[in-house]
Amino acid sequence: MKDLQHDSAKLHVTGEAIYVNDIESNQQTLIGKILYSKHAHARIKKIDISQALLINKVHAIVTYKDIPGKNNMGPIVYDEPCLAEDEVNFIGQAIVLIAAENEYACIEAEKAIKIEYEQLEAILDIETAIKKNNLLAPPRKIERGNPDGVLSNCEYKIKDTLHIGGQEHWYLETQSCLCIPGENGEMQVYSSTQNPTETQILVADVLGLESKDVIVESKRLGGGFGGKETQGNHVACWAALLAQKTKRPVKIHLSRDDDQKITGKRHRFIINYEAGFNKEGQIEAIIFEQNSDAGAATDLSMAILERAMLHAENSYFIPNIKIIGKAWKTNLPSNTAFRGFGGPQGMAAMETIIDRIARQLKKDPLEIRYKNFYKISTNNITPYDQLIENNRLFILHDKLSESSDYWSRRKAIHEFNTKNKILKKGIALTPVKFGISFTTSFLNQAGALVLIYKDGTVLVNHGGTEMGQGLYTKILQIASAELGINPKNIKIAPTNTSKVPNTSPTAASSGTDLNGMAVKNAIDILKSRISEVVTVEFNKDFKYDLTKIENIEFENDMVFDNFHKDRSMTFKEVVSMAYLKQVSLSSTGFYKTPAVNFDREKGTGKPFHYFSYGMAVSEVLVDSLTGSHKIIRTDILHDCGDSLNTEIDKGQIIGGFIQGVGWCTTEELKYDKDGNLLNHSPDTYKIPSVQDIPDDLRVELLKDFPNENTIRKSKAIGEPPFMLCFSVWLAIKDAISSIGLHQIEPEFSLPATNETILLSIENLKNKY
Amino acid sequence: MKKYKNAVAFILNDKLVEVNFNDSRSHTPTTTVLNYLRNFPFHRGVKEGCAEGDCGACTVVIGQVNEENKIIYQAVDSCLMFLPMLHGKQLITVEHLARIEDNKIILHPVQQSLVDKYGSQCGYCTPGFVMSLFALYKNYNNPSKEIILDALTGNLCRCTGYQPIIEAAELACVNNGTDHFTDSEENITNILLQIKKSTKTLSLKTKKQTYYRPAKFKKAKLLRSLHPEAIITSGATDIALKVTKKHELLKEIIDISGIEDLKYYEERPNTINVGAGLSLEKLKTLSEKALPALHHMLTVFGSKQIRSLATLGGNIGSASPIGDTLPVLIAYNASVVIESIDNKRIVNINDFIKAYRKTDIHTDEIITGVIIPKPKEGTIVRSYKISKRKDLDISTVSACYALKLNNENIVQSIILAYGGVAATTKRALEAENFIIGKLWNQEIVEEASQIIFREFAPLSDARAGEEMRRIAARNLLVKFYSDSLTF
Ligand SMILES: Cc1cc2nc3c(=O)[nH]c(=O)nc-3n(C[C@H](O)[C@H](O)[C@H](O)COP(=O)(O)OP(=O)(O)OC[C@H]3O[C@@H](n4cnc5c(N)ncnc54)[C@H](O)[C@@H]3O)c2cc1C
Ligand code: FES
Ligand code: FES
Repeated sequence: MKDLQHDSAKLHVTGEAIYVNDIESNQQTLIGKILYSKHAHARIKKIDISQALLINKVHAIVTYKDIPGKNNMGPIVYDEPCLAEDEVNFIGQAIVLIAAENEYACIEAEKAIKIEYEQLEAILDIETAIKKNNLLAPPRKIERGNPDGVLSNCEYKIKDTLHIGGQEHWYLETQSCLCIPGENGEMQVYSSTQNPTETQILVADVLGLESKDVIVESKRLGGGFGGKETQGNHVACWAALLAQKTKRPVKIHLSRDDDQKITGKRHRFIINYEAGFNKEGQIEAIIFEQNSDAGAATDLSMAILERAMLHAENSYFIPNIKIIGKAWKTNLPSNTAFRGFGGPQGMAAMETIIDRIARQLKKDPLEIRYKNFYKISTNNITPYDQLIENNRLFILHDKLSESSDYWSRRKAIHEFNTKNKILKKGIALTPVKFGISFTTSFLNQAGALVLIYKDGTVLVNHGGTEMGQGLYTKILQIASAELGINPKNIKIAPTNTSKVPNTSPTAASSGTDLNGMAVKNAIDILKSRISEVVTVEFNKDFKYDLTKIENIEFENDMVFDNFHKDRSMTFKEVVSMAYLKQVSLSSTGFYKTPAVNFDREKGTGKPFHYFSYGMAVSEVLVDSLTGSHKIIRTDILHDCGDSLNTEIDKGQIIGGFIQGVGWCTTEELKYDKDGNLLNHSPDTYKIPSVQDIPDDLRVELLKDFPNENTIRKSKAIGEPPFMLCFSVWLAIKDAISSIGLHQIEPEFSLPATNETILLSIENLKNKY
Repeated sequence: MKKYKNAVAFILNDKLVEVNFNDSRSHTPTTTVLNYLRNFPFHRGVKEGCAEGDCGACTVVIGQVNEENKIIYQAVDSCLMFLPMLHGKQLITVEHLARIEDNKIILHPVQQSLVDKYGSQCGYCTPGFVMSLFALYKNYNNPSKEIILDALTGNLCRCTGYQPIIEAAELACVNNGTDHFTDSEENITNILLQIKKSTKTLSLKTKKQTYYRPAKFKKAKLLRSLHPEAIITSGATDIALKVTKKHELLKEIIDISGIEDLKYYEERPNTINVGAGLSLEKLKTLSEKALPALHHMLTVFGSKQIRSLATLGGNIGSASPIGDTLPVLIAYNASVVIESIDNKRIVNINDFIKAYRKTDIHTDEIITGVIIPKPKEGTIVRSYKISKRKDLDISTVSACYALKLNNENIVQSIILAYGGVAATTKRALEAENFIIGKLWNQEIVEEASQIIFREFAPLSDARAGEEMRRIAARNLLVKFYSDSLTF
């Protein structure tokens, strides 16, 4: 299959691509604004909107009392009011909505609204939540073997705690939604959402409507990364309420500061771990206790915790293991999905254990990794009982350690560090094994609707959203290859709930796997209808040697009999003929992932259709006096099965990796004692810039390892590369560790900001 | 030709545009160029990602006629630019780069390269990158990687990891900057010169605001004495945030960015004199040889988009404890030149900064420039900046040191100037006193660095904790010592 360029690339570079905030709406359109809580936890005593209503150009002020439907936007558990009633549970929680003709009027109205609070005690971190036993839901557990017993008998042991920070999504396009009220109470919603169906359901719920009355369309997102899986719903619900009330179009486009303050982020975690191993570095038992900061409501926290638990052992076979997962409720915005969905947090602790074992045994971490990898025919069952098939760890390890010269560079680094006092180098090779499928098994389904028009052009509808990951492009390639026609004649329609119903979020890296298959299914149905017509047509003049329907092929804009190549017609002719013969030229398609299941109670099952693998080696240079670091070189080898589009997949790998590097290094979230987020703008929240990528970055895809049972033997690519970032994180630790000649375990946490690095070095120097 | 007094005139891509604020309902004099553009249905390529100069999604290119009557193209953040700042300039937007020939769209080389290299994913940052690449294209042929990275530092992308965009830059910038703008350059130059000729002072009045934009310094001084309450704005990279982030209404503004007399850079026998209105980007280029410590600090100052707007006068005028040029000016022992309509005074930089964001400037005065004494032969001056992210970040701690040793390696004079460790930029005087007259060696420096550790009482904030700042301040002296050995 030929790699196509991103289907919107030309629109992107000319500025023609339309995002929600660019949609030309009429003069009547109002701007919506959210007045949110200034306290982390408080009782609302009084809301006085009377003065605000008098302000010129203000058209509506809405409180929970004005909600005609349900006051809820919790996607799974109904614990998130759309607008606060008598209590607020985090700074940023919406209380009042304003619709006005312009932003100034909104701001004036906001100032004129008076809210009286009675402050209550707030829980602002995991430690306090644990102390107060403020669990979100009952703890979860996955266990195999006899971890407690084996641990107590292990010769070598490590026991410690890892602090892992959260992460702001920082999609370039902040949350936005435009709602246009229609006749009969209907609502047309243009939303930057990864989950149009859920947006549709929640908007209908708050408006007191039904799904049939609400249409949600999402053409493209200016970045999502999980941050618009549920959080897009909120802005949509708010805009819809204002639109319904004013009977005018209402647009909400959050300012960057508001977006950063009020939306959920990647969960921060505190993971307690205890590992036992022998003198060769073979791990015998581990106990993890994962504690996540869920924030004020459930959102997707339990599913995220589950994925963290399912990735706690990363690529390693741990014979005796216990993973306990606890999500804690705090007075912060409810944390949410973010690329990796808990996987990164789970793996960070595992990789820390490996790193520490190596330091303790004075061996190279890569040796410890290799020793503990899942094996091919034995030691290949996960703690949750899934058999690991098609293990790619060894092939990736062998190829990458060689192509990156890992061992000779390790030596060179050692020499460099012996000679240099101020600058220190470090290196690390880390693996990723990532399970593909929603662990909530029923979500593994997708629908499509393919329309063939009389002129031979094709419109493809499917349930996935385009947020930059190249889904539409891959779907276009799939449709083009399956129909055998030029992609020029195919268009991928904006994702719309009135075309494909009941879709799952575009998440869990599953966009192409699910929707690609559904589109193929629709096309298969259409092709078989067309083939029938064509077969009849081809056989019109023959008595014997007839064309068989199964030999009809679609290729190069032609439809032909593969055994009698002279029997052929253009796709266009065939379509037109089928139309005249009164054959339906549209079809839905459907797909569900076969045989995935997971029993949450027992903590066992086959939650994943397959695993994606990748590995990275990074070398860094740390300035021990300033705590700054530089990535000198990164080599990545990643397994995408048979890649559907090499450049798009590489783009996902580099982009995901760098996003992970940001999480591990410069992206830090701090709160003040009242629960205000201090880093609520790019002034103080620092995602990687162009200067922060490796000086030398080499990315390769693993070739000739097709994936069975997926669309065109490909593998999902969205999330797995994120976790390649541990190579940078642990290379930094390696550089720090060299200051204590690798004799002392450095203090380390995630992110490794220059502050973390500097304080760790200071500590090391004091001990040394 | 008409005279411009109450209207702003500029070229929007290829058309002369006049904006008159009396009868405008949609814009005011402090409307940003970003919001002005996005008001048109056909200029929504430009995006807002932050409204504070940190993401570059709003990047546009400004064409300005230089002394040799050539157009110079610069990328700037349109979210920080007030509409009147466009007066007499060409504003180029992403919609104007491609051409249509025989009904076919011909992409500009920078656009085509981005497409070819898969340089866009979600595409939201892309128009901004296109414009930064366009400015790069116009200014460099086969740029080095360092130049490419510098040109793109002000543009954040959350999707691509930047690598394909760097490759696109390498691929595109090979035509000596020729493109369809080259063809229209002469024509545009003439119009821009005409506007300039027909403008003295703009005074733009609405019911709520008055915005003056003098072309001559004399006039600025007069306006300043008549309007003591007015806010002076130069590059507006600080002032614009009052509008975009704090939503303040600025009632009276004197915009001095159109005054050419304030944009000088002069090398005198003993001093280097820099005009308050000189952009930091120009200063960065000009100071490379004579003032390497200043040059170095400017390489890690904001982004190219910011430096092209921001001025030295503005950085001093802000008097921020984390203003990056301040420790450098202290180390060079610079003086600030201040003028009012009937007075001129020269104040040493140490005396000029009074307190947190407070300067020794009266309501009728304007900073006109800075006098930087050339360092004495053998003086080592070096600047350092520590920030969470290396580039486009505000300092956690910054420092600039000036050291003079005699033949016996004894410290004759030393200045240790710090930013980020107190309410103002501050010298480590105790440590300085300790070092003077002593041998410049590891032991002394270690001891002095411990004094620094105790001397300052920095704050903890969103950027870093107090302990980190102390350690960093201490370590930088050690780093300076190590660097001084290789000089
Ligand atoms: C994204 C971003 C990044 C930044 N990065 C840095 C950085 O790395 N380091 C750093 O130090 N700063 C940084 N800044 C802050 C700012 O850019 C600088 O302080 C800049 O030098 C201000 O110059 P300006 O000409 O834009 O000032 P303006 O915004 O025009 O003015 C700033 C202040 O100085 C006064 N003023 C200006 N000119 C005069 C004059 N001639 N006489 C009297 N008063 C005057 C104004 O009244 C105002 O109070 C950054 C800002 C942004 C938005
Ligand atoms: S909008 Fe981010 S720099 Fe202007
Ligand atoms: S392409 Fe999405 S932010 Fe750059």
